[in-house]
Amino acid sequence: MDELTREFLIESQEGLDRMERCLTDLESRPDDTALLAEIFRSVHTIKGTTGFLGFKRLERLAHSGENLLGLLRDGKLAAEPNIITGLLALLDGLRSILHNVETGEGEGEGDDAELIARLERLQQIKLQKDDDARSDEPEIALTATQVQNPLLRMLAQEKAEAERQAEAARAAAAKSEAAAANEPARAAAASAAESTLRVDVALLNRMMNLVGELVLTRNQVLQATAADPKMTLLSRRLDMVTADLRESVMRARMQPVSNIFSKMPRIVRDVSQLLGRKVRLEMEGQETELDKSLLEAIKDPLTHAVRNSLDHGIELPEVRAAAGKNAEGTLKLRAAQEGSHVIIEVSDDGAGISAEKVRNKAIERGLINAESAAQLPERELLNLIFLPGFSTAAAVTSVSGRGVGMDVVKTNVEKIGGKVEVESRVGKGTTLRLRIPLTLAIIPALIVRTLEQSFAVPQGALSELVHLAPEQLATSIEWIENAPLYRLRGQLLPLVILDRMLTADNSSRKLEGRDVFVAVLDADGRRYGLAVDGLADPEEIVVKPLSAVLKDVGLYSGATVLGNGDLALILDPGAIAAKAGVTLAAEDALVQTGAHEAEAAGDRGSEYLLVEVAGRRAAVLLNDVLRIEQVPASRIEYAGLRPVLHFDGQLLPVEDAGGLLGGAHSEMQVIIVVCRDGNRQVGVAVTHVLDVAAGSDLLEAGTTQPATGVTLLKDHVTGIVDLGSIAPLPMLEQQAAASWQEPGPSYAENAQ
Amino acid sequence: MNTAPNMLSETFSTRKQDAAAGMSQVCSFYLGDGLYGLSISHILEIVGGARPEAVPLAPPFVAGLVHYRGDVLTTVSARKLLGMSPLEGETPDLLVVENDGGCFGLIVDSVHEVMTVSAEDFEASPSTVHERSRTLFAGAYKLKNRLMVMLDHERIDPLKLAKGN
Repeated sequence: MDELTREFLIESQEGLDRMERCLTDLESRPDDTALLAEIFRSVHTIKGTTGFLGFKRLERLAHSGENLLGLLRDGKLAAEPNIITGLLALLDGLRSILHNVETGEGEGEGDDAELIARLERLQQIKLQKDDDARSDEPEIALTATQVQNPLLRMLAQEKAEAERQAEAARAAAAKSEAAAANEPARAAAASAAESTLRVDVALLNRMMNLVGELVLTRNQVLQATAADPKMTLLSRRLDMVTADLRESVMRARMQPVSNIFSKMPRIVRDVSQLLGRKVRLEMEGQETELDKSLLEAIKDPLTHAVRNSLDHGIELPEVRAAAGKNAEGTLKLRAAQEGSHVIIEVSDDGAGISAEKVRNKAIERGLINAESAAQLPERELLNLIFLPGFSTAAAVTSVSGRGVGMDVVKTNVEKIGGKVEVESRVGKGTTLRLRIPLTLAIIPALIVRTLEQSFAVPQGALSELVHLAPEQLATSIEWIENAPLYRLRGQLLPLVILDRMLTADNSSRKLEGRDVFVAVLDADGRRYGLAVDGLADPEEIVVKPLSAVLKDVGLYSGATVLGNGDLALILDPGAIAAKAGVTLAAEDALVQTGAHEAEAAGDRGSEYLLVEVAGRRAAVLLNDVLRIEQVPASRIEYAGLRPVLHFDGQLLPVEDAGGLLGGAHSEMQVIIVVCRDGNRQVGVAVTHVLDVAAGSDLLEAGTTQPATGVTLLKDHVTGIVDLGSIAPLPMLEQQAAASWQEPGPSYAENAQ
Repeated sequence: MNTAPNMLSETFSTRKQDAAAGMSQVCSFYLGDGLYGLSISHILEIVGGARPEAVPLAPPFVAGLVHYRGDVLTTVSARKLLGMSPLEGETPDLLVVENDGGCFGLIVDSVHEVMTVSAEDFEASPSTVHERSRTLFAGAYKLKNRLMVMLDHERIDPLKLAKGN
């Protein structure tokens, strides 16, 4: 295929995408002249270029469409539903020919005579109407003499014309205001057209890989030069540039979700007409950006979800009216960024999903037996709709109901590391929530050691870490037959001992004589502790795919190269839970009791980490604590007079209220509690970490206001460390740390 | 380690011209005392001193993972394939092999040399060779003083091996 044809294909497809959006908009605003002009332009451009390239079939089809659109544009015909349907058919016709050209088959053999005839018939209707309409036009009111006087006639015509134009302009202005309010993204896209450039996705992928390599090299350089003060400045600069470059390349791959949302109005229109539904589509957050490959990956699941909502969710207009609802149903698509994830919601105000029906259907289909179904709580029951072979529709329709759909949605979304949740209230509607990671390529991970090897655990699944000293092992790990359990704040947490799982060792031999670290993981709602031999520093890792042979092992989601040059396998927390038999039901009990505990805690006040600083007790709000680090005092550096910890590419300001650092000699270990304060991270130097406890509010004597800055912990009044008062570092370094640590939020800021 | 493969690849291209006359190039390597060969047409690179990272629970023929030009390669242990005991005390060499399905690494004791062999000296594996090994062998070249057993680059692909199990 030559360059010119390729160019033509890309342009035409963009034009047709635009036309599709405009056509569906046109249905709600049939006399928006700007929309009509846009559609006309798309078809006209195709016609012009095809004549030049010699695609006769395309040219003929585009030509007949152009005639019809010309009439519409000139206001000689109103954009009625049957005309819009005809134009959509034209769109599909053009698309299929373009597809043929793209696959190298030339224009293909199809016959467009029928479609062309249809478009011509639509023009005829228009012309007849045009004649009827003409009788109403102002010049008809002119008298015979006026008609005979060409000058007068011209004046009258001009006047009428001017009135019509003014009318049209007012209408157009009103419409475009509404349009502008609705679609700021589109307006911006148009003006940005001249400052943008098309780039081959393969090139972007290559750049992403190279940036990944650079991140690895950066990690290695940072580790290698950590001890050399002369290199610190250089390596910090390398660190910043790398973080910046990585972010830029990632942003280059980002596309707004409007790219897939814009397909939805057409689907909603077609499907709702087919099914006799009346549906209004609302879309929100279309400017939210997502990596291109992920966007491609969720296109099908999202389409499935929308079709499903229309078919199973929103009822027929009469049913809705009978239930006292608006006959027109609402389908809402919403996209928003939440931290390092993008949330996409498909919600309808339809019939909702009856948990009872789901239960019966699942039993009938043999997906679950009656006893276990009876025990499942409602939330779990709804999740049954994601099982393969499940379908609640009474009848199989051409839209959905063949029992494929929701399981496809779930598998496709999980394939890219996302999650699917469903919420539903009978009679009120259903919300399907897709949670998609911003990017797949680079993720923060905790490096754990077991079997003398390093493994990476994605930090998204990690909720906390517990260290068990050798002498604690016998008492703190309990066994039910072969299943080890750990009592975490009173709750039994199933343990998966990593080295045993990896060596397929099922013995109930006790763990003895070594340190054990438990990483408490939450994978798709399954909560368990992963027991490992050691912990290394957390790192941002570049995910490398594994060959099919190793994927089949089923425990690894990829591999990565660590800062020290070692290879590490990336553990898949969900797969490990499944393999170890950590079930959802068991998890649910935990979650429920966990919730009770949280409620109980809520009554008493928040939970705090109790620490000792130079002989005094202090508390840090547990929610603010990210992790606890033990580092040699020599790792603490000084930026001016402020102690800072250079840690895995981040710079933490360290609060040293107790003066611990000043008196420490370089081999001494200091404990740093790493906390979150808004968007930044700060470290607090402490002597010991004592406990986690729920604090109670103290009322200031004589008032009903809880005293701020103190809490009652274990019957002692304890001061709360005020993280906000820790002074920020000089601007530059703080920015670098923030952009490196949290690419998510900084995108959002940049996008606005 | 990095310069050697480049020199090799240069020699590959000059020698490739001989192929027309029934000649072909083979990378020969040792496994224990035996001399084995793999056609160079599917070898991307020869890397000295590979230390594959073990993958727990992987099929037995997998030697582990190696980092190769930004990708993570699955490697096959030639010794395991042929039922030999693991290599002790030495760092093995790695051949990066490219098949239609993608690349994989072959871990061998040490690479001997790239040699030009003639089709006249080739013979299929005799029927007395152990059945399991025979499926992996393409045949053997009769060199002046010894035999060089040819491995079939497609049959030792980890994807194929996994299906065979």
